[in-house]
Amino acid sequence: MTVAITRAAARAASVRKVYGRGDAAVEALRDVTVAFGEGEFTAIMGPSGSGKSTLLHCLAGLDRPTSGQVFIGDVDLTTLSDRALTDLRRDRVGFVFQAFNLIPTLSAEENITLPVDIAGRKVDRSWFDRIVDTVGLRDRLHHRPAELSGGQQQRVAAARALVSRPTIVFADEPTGNLDSRSGEELLGFLRSAVDEHGQTIVMVTHDARAASHADRVVFLADGDVVGEMREPTTERVLDHLKSLGA
Amino acid sequence: MFRATWRSLLARKLRLLLTAGSIVLGVGFVAGTYVLTDTMNAAFEELFARAASGADLVVRSRQAFEDIAAGPGTGATEERRPIPEALLEEIASVPGVEIAAGDVSGAASIVDPDSDEVLGGLGPPTIGTNWTALADAVLTVREGRPPDGPGEVAIDAGSARTGEIGIGDRVPILTGTGREVFEVVGILGFGPADNLGGATLAVFDTETAQRLLDKEGVYDTITVKAEEDVDPVALRAAIQARLPKGLETVSSTDVADENAQALREGLGFFRTALLVFAAVALFVGGFLILNTFSIIVAQRTRELALLRTLGATRAQVLGSVVVEAAIVGVLASAVGVGAGVGIAIGLRGLLGAFGIDLPTTAIQLEPRTVVVSIAVGLGVTILAAVLPARHAARVAPLQALRDTAAEASGSLARRALLGGAAALAGVGALAVGLFGSPSNPAVVVGVGAALTFAGVAVWSPFLARPVAGALGAPFERRSVPARLGRENARRNPRRTAATASALMIGLGLVSMVAILAASLKASLDEALRKTLKADLTLSTTSFTPFSPAVARRVAALPEVGAVGTFRQAGFKVDGDTSFLTGLDPSTVEAVTSLGVSAGSLADLRGDAIAVASDVATERGWSVGDRVPAAFPSVGERPLRIVAIYDEDRLVGDYVVPLETYEDLYVEQLDAFVLVRAAEGVATDEARRAVEAAVVGFPNVDVQDQAAFREKQAAFIDQLLGLVTALLMMAIVIALFGIVNTLGLSIYERTRELGLLRAVGMSRAQVRRMIRWEAVIIAVFGALLGLAVGIGFGWALRRALEPEGVTRLALPAAQLGAYLAAAALAGVLAAVWPARRASRLDVLASIAYE
Ligand SMILES: Nc1ncnc2c1ncn2[C@@H]1O[C@H](COP(=O)(O)OP(=O)(O)OP(=O)(O)O)[C@@H](O)[C@H]1O
Ligand SMILES: [Mg+2]
Repeated sequence: MTVAITRAAARAASVRKVYGRGDAAVEALRDVTVAFGEGEFTAIMGPSGSGKSTLLHCLAGLDRPTSGQVFIGDVDLTTLSDRALTDLRRDRVGFVFQAFNLIPTLSAEENITLPVDIAGRKVDRSWFDRIVDTVGLRDRLHHRPAELSGGQQQRVAAARALVSRPTIVFADEPTGNLDSRSGEELLGFLRSAVDEHGQTIVMVTHDARAASHADRVVFLADGDVVGEMREPTTERVLDHLKSLGA
Repeated sequence: MFRATWRSLLARKLRLLLTAGSIVLGVGFVAGTYVLTDTMNAAFEELFARAASGADLVVRSRQAFEDIAAGPGTGATEERRPIPEALLEEIASVPGVEIAAGDVSGAASIVDPDSDEVLGGLGPPTIGTNWTALADAVLTVREGRPPDGPGEVAIDAGSARTGEIGIGDRVPILTGTGREVFEVVGILGFGPADNLGGATLAVFDTETAQRLLDKEGVYDTITVKAEEDVDPVALRAAIQARLPKGLETVSSTDVADENAQALREGLGFFRTALLVFAAVALFVGGFLILNTFSIIVAQRTRELALLRTLGATRAQVLGSVVVEAAIVGVLASAVGVGAGVGIAIGLRGLLGAFGIDLPTTAIQLEPRTVVVSIAVGLGVTILAAVLPARHAARVAPLQALRDTAAEASGSLARRALLGGAAALAGVGALAVGLFGSPSNPAVVVGVGAALTFAGVAVWSPFLARPVAGALGAPFERRSVPARLGRENARRNPRRTAATASALMIGLGLVSMVAILAASLKASLDEALRKTLKADLTLSTTSFTPFSPAVARRVAALPEVGAVGTFRQAGFKVDGDTSFLTGLDPSTVEAVTSLGVSAGSLADLRGDAIAVASDVATERGWSVGDRVPAAFPSVGERPLRIVAIYDEDRLVGDYVVPLETYEDLYVEQLDAFVLVRAAEGVATDEARRAVEAAVVGFPNVDVQDQAAFREKQAAFIDQLLGLVTALLMMAIVIALFGIVNTLGLSIYERTRELGLLRAVGMSRAQVRRMIRWEAVIIAVFGALLGLAVGIGFGWALRRALEPEGVTRLALPAAQLGAYLAAAALAGVLAAVWPARRASRLDVLASIAYE
């Protein structure tokens, strides 16, 4: 089963990440090589401590690999200065974390437009409206995060991740803190971003149901890619995880 | 429990350091004040003791009273009738007397021959005296020899150093009788010291000194050294028996004690003044500690709640916070005492920069200083921590489970009530202190001001949100950092308000002083415009009195019309100390208008006196009544009121004719001289002539009206500068507070900062955001301070209306500059927190829990 990847939105080449030194050194990633195709929705799965978050952070320019290379588009992140990395995150990468995604002093709308505002650019109003309508937050735009439910907060975060039309969106367990209905809503929204706007999304998850919304699942164990699956279903993912012994 | 406290202290070293900073500064100021004044005291006592050691007895005329008010600028604390020269031989012939020496002294200024400027003269006196057989007990000849002959002088080593004067140089010297040039034959020291507390000294032979100081044929005192193994007490009695009435014999140690006592009183006033500034600094410091502990308690709510779930009692939680405060208090106070020594040296430098030179000896750190400083520091810290500690104790165990680190908030209504009540009580106390007549108005005013500040501080959270919002509004649209900075300043109004309040106090006081100074200047200017008729004024830079020879020379000029001479000295009315002005009734109306409302100045002769109308009203006097006046050297001398006048700005409350003044006082020097140009002579022409006539007196400034008014204003500005510099301490502490609050807030918002960086905010933008927050807090504090300061200034001006502060002036440019400076200070205070925030590791911040 080989599907030709037209172009990679992001890829990691022989990425190693070691935390600490000497006896205390932990090898979180050992020689990971993986690519994420444009317009594809990829889920990353694996046991706790397998290096999922670490890989995501390296890919997103939040952390630097100990060795190897990371590309967003054609740009090698390992050669960039802190300043250039910051700009890249702002303009070409979107994020959704598990929790604490929003600035409490800003309204939902301001949180969504934050990356564009930071860049000092004008918000593309029609794009903004499309996103807001897709996530269904129209009537909540002027509320502060504290006045939103957990699911709404995550949808605001997702909208923010998309607002600057980034090359790629990373999400680290975005549904981890949500009940199943809110989780489904968020996943549906991410799916539609891929289907309707050709957005590339990489999502870390523990939940096989969540992973089934993706086009492809990459499995990680002990800091290595140990397999992948196309067109996943909940059952197949669960089976595979069992075979990994997780 | 104690272990937990200690751990939490160590875990937050930085916070500890910042909290301690305000206490260190406040306590340092207290300790520094004591160290400085103790050191000065010790230096003078050493000198007085030295002086006493060389002699046994002093013969002098009695004073009617000892607490003489020094005349404006004279610094003279003695006013004794001279003793006839002939008495010296008589005393010398008393059996048991080894040496008897006659002393004369008076004002004599040394002129730097190179710059033609008078040496010293700002604060410490310029002294002229004679060399006697007993002089070397006090004075050491460092170079050359003692003066011996009409053209010779020996000067103190301090003057020799600053004026770069050496043996053989010829220096002009100004005395009451005029200007003369002398050859320097000796350089003198006071043991190891170069001068006597900054005073300049010119020593002549006895005859020359008598002539120069206008004391021919007389001595001020006679100093006696007893023969070995003669009982000084018996000798004293033997000498006293031969003295005419009005003279006394005292032991030289008593004289030293008197001098030391007078000095201690002077220093006591100085010390109290400095301690007031220290109290302000500590008050501000207390605010910061309260704020810091409030934030800490809020941040530790979960930890404290956890302790409560584990069974810690309320008392234990309360105790742990108080113990933490106590540890901080003791440590910081100890460091503060150390800093005090440095501050003492710094204060000495500051006073020196304002022309007040102080003597130097070994720094005196007395146990009392250490005890008082640590007690005060510890007290303030614990007092400030009790409120947050009570909040901490009220944390419910269940709060451990909740996520929010919300600050325990007392009910708003209670806060509003409390703040309002405190402010009202403060304003009330101020009103009583300023306009009523309590027994100790200064204390009442101080307490009132403190209460007002506290009340406004308690109230200010209500203002924090709208004001911070309004301040940030013009900028937030254009920049995300500005928007976030503004929101951060608004998100916790109590914290913002408490931080700003510290700055409010400092700025409130500074602006009050500025308003008062401006009002003083405006009032003075107006009064001078109204009353000064003279074209020219002659006075010295530091308003020290000068030789009557100046007026004599000016009066002889053809370009000059009327010349008014004014002398001033202290006396007593009904036991109250006051000032008396001696003037020439024949010319006074030509040079100034006194606004005589009853009687006539023409009757001002003999035992007559003129009285200012407000004093006359207050005491119920009218023309013809007797003023129960007493003078230090001549004793009681009732004077008859012949006139009552309104304009007391220039001449004060009491005026006597010059002839009477000459009769009442020993020292005859002019305080200022007012000159009218002759008919048909332009002011400029008259000024050139007068300047040429007084060219030998470089201490005397010849000024036209405008320049004279400017000089008066400059004098007030100098005082304003000194007070403002001392209040800077409180402002610096307040800035510490902003640094501290921002630092703690950043620690609290680590995750948020990480998120901002993750979504692409640059380090520079993060710094800008923190800066905005700091500036908004600072400007908010400054605005509060300006509001309170303007209120205080207004009230104080009203209260001083009877003292002649008749006009209220708002120095808008200056107050605006303060506001701008506060904004700038906010930027400065943000430097470190902003850097810290921008350096946070993005991932660590996100992972931070
Ligand atoms: N900052 C760090 N310092 C040291 N070790 C770290 C650090 N961050 C992660 N690790 C280690 O690296 C390994 C991979 O961690 P990572 O967070 O990537 O796992 P994960 O797959 O995301 O786990 P989970 O599913 O629990 O989120 C773990 O063994 C972890 O302990
Ligand atoms: Mg993870």
